[in-house]
Amino acid sequence: MGDIAYKKEELMVIEASKYIKDGEIVFTGVGLPVVAATLAQKMHAPNMTIVVESGVIGPQLKLVPLSIADSRIMRKAVRLGSLREVLGCVLQRGMVDVGFLGGAQIDQYANLNSTVIGDYYKPKVRFPGSGGANPIASHAKRLLIITPHQKRRFTKKCDYITSPGYIDGPYGRKNAGLRMWNPSITIVTDLCVMGIDSTSGRLKLLKLMPDVTIEQVRENTDFELIIPSEIGAVDLPTEAELRLIRKEIDPERIYFPDN
Amino acid sequence: MNSKIMTASEAVERFIFDGASVGVGGQNAVGAPMAIAHEIIRQRKKDLTLLGCNLAMAADILIGAGLVKKCECGTCNIGYRGIPSMGYAARRYYQEGKLEIEDYEHLGMVSRFLAGEMGLPFMPVMSSLGSDILRYKAPSTGKKFEIIQNPWNPAEKVLLMPAAIPDVAIIHVQRVDEMGNVIMEGFVAHTPEMVRASKKVIVSCEEIISSEETRNYPEMTTLPHIYVDAIVEQPWGSHPMATYRYYDCDVEHLRMYQECAEAALKEGKSGMEKYEDYLQEYVLSCDTFNDYLEKIGGVKKLMELKRRMREVM
Repeated sequence: MGDIAYKKEELMVIEASKYIKDGEIVFTGVGLPVVAATLAQKMHAPNMTIVVESGVIGPQLKLVPLSIADSRIMRKAVRLGSLREVLGCVLQRGMVDVGFLGGAQIDQYANLNSTVIGDYYKPKVRFPGSGGANPIASHAKRLLIITPHQKRRFTKKCDYITSPGYIDGPYGRKNAGLRMWNPSITIVTDLCVMGIDSTSGRLKLLKLMPDVTIEQVRENTDFELIIPSEIGAVDLPTEAELRLIRKEIDPERIYFPDN
Repeated sequence: MNSKIMTASEAVERFIFDGASVGVGGQNAVGAPMAIAHEIIRQRKKDLTLLGCNLAMAADILIGAGLVKKCECGTCNIGYRGIPSMGYAARRYYQEGKLEIEDYEHLGMVSRFLAGEMGLPFMPVMSSLGSDILRYKAPSTGKKFEIIQNPWNPAEKVLLMPAAIPDVAIIHVQRVDEMGNVIMEGFVAHTPEMVRASKKVIVSCEEIISSEETRNYPEMTTLPHIYVDAIVEQPWGSHPMATYRYYDCDVEHLRMYQECAEAALKEGKSGMEKYEDYLQEYVLSCDTFNDYLEKIGGVKKLMELKRRMREVM
């Protein structure tokens, strides 16, 4: 199996899809998360329910939607409702099992920044802002992040916390008043999988991607990542997983372009 | 009773004023009130405050035309099919200190509209807690939020967000009858709450239908006429964004807009000229939105967008 060629983004998506269980309610954003959710739906979680912030509940995605409010994301849904319905009546009331997130910066407590780089009032770069990300981070039982592993992204301290991880320690969320105070957070990068160390609220290494060393992870992380004594390995992709991604989910290779 | 049916020009002249707060409907690639936004630009209504959840293309072009002083929103986002997501005009104005953005998140914003539509002063929200959304506010903003103890469970913190009540809401929908009853198809995002919270409402639509039809299927009505002040019949009124079931997003035109907006951000004077040229060509030199629709490719292009939507369905 080891000789199947694959893109690292494909393996990131495959790995992330394994954190979704059948029957769960999954809140997706745009980009690779939609691919991961769709893959989970086709592989092992046929009864999962996808929800999308614009009001879409239970779509059966064919073409990978490219924006949260793309018409494509409404395909074969069971309900096309409102933003309040999804963010309020599903997410805030605590029904979402898995929420996908991303960010321009991720710090050691898994806080995310999608608002500004630099000073808030005089930023180097202004990004779109929270959207549904903050409510997802606040209320989902488990959070999943798929992101490239770069030193500038995995920063010591976010310039702006758009979406809270563990804020400043194990009880950061509790002190802030978040009801979902100890969510599981999993970050899948092209180098590794990270999770939250429950005693410190900080990120720790869980698994390495194939052929990646701890040293590489350290070099590309600007904060001190907790390295436990036992570290797992991410499984190589199977033919079935790759075939689904390439033939059914993203046949146009929009998400996995050949450079 | 006077008819609410009017042209975009009449609607903007009557209901949008300098300094108005304007609620913007639609969510990124779908349902942007572009025809109304173009008319606001032609009439140079200025010092606007825009409110919404995802302020997309309609907001970006109003900002790029120099008519917006502040946004209260969840995001300023245009992202679609690999086209960069931040509205470049919004980014340029913000980074140059010419635009205030009052950052909320979508649930906080829709909760603010929910308070507004129910005549309440504020709404409890349980998100935003622990984030910098509660640390920073736009310079001109007063009290952005309050955190109280839940009176029934003092151990629990509750965030209160103030009601949002736009002076005018602008939305684009599929169908409206001649009374102003609104029928929206597809997801509705924050539009219903925002419309019911607003003091005045301008609705542009793909089709005007008979109220007999509405009365036969009243459960299909998304918003009754009592909230609506102006009805503008404007097919393809959210171009280059999509209207669900009617036509798909015009990716080629959107990309061209984004390139002009990006040039203005990154290429100094010559880039600025590109953006100004876009506004001149596609908005200011057009008498109406129909003139614009001719320029973007006319019936041929529009039928192609209809075909692309059929493929999606």
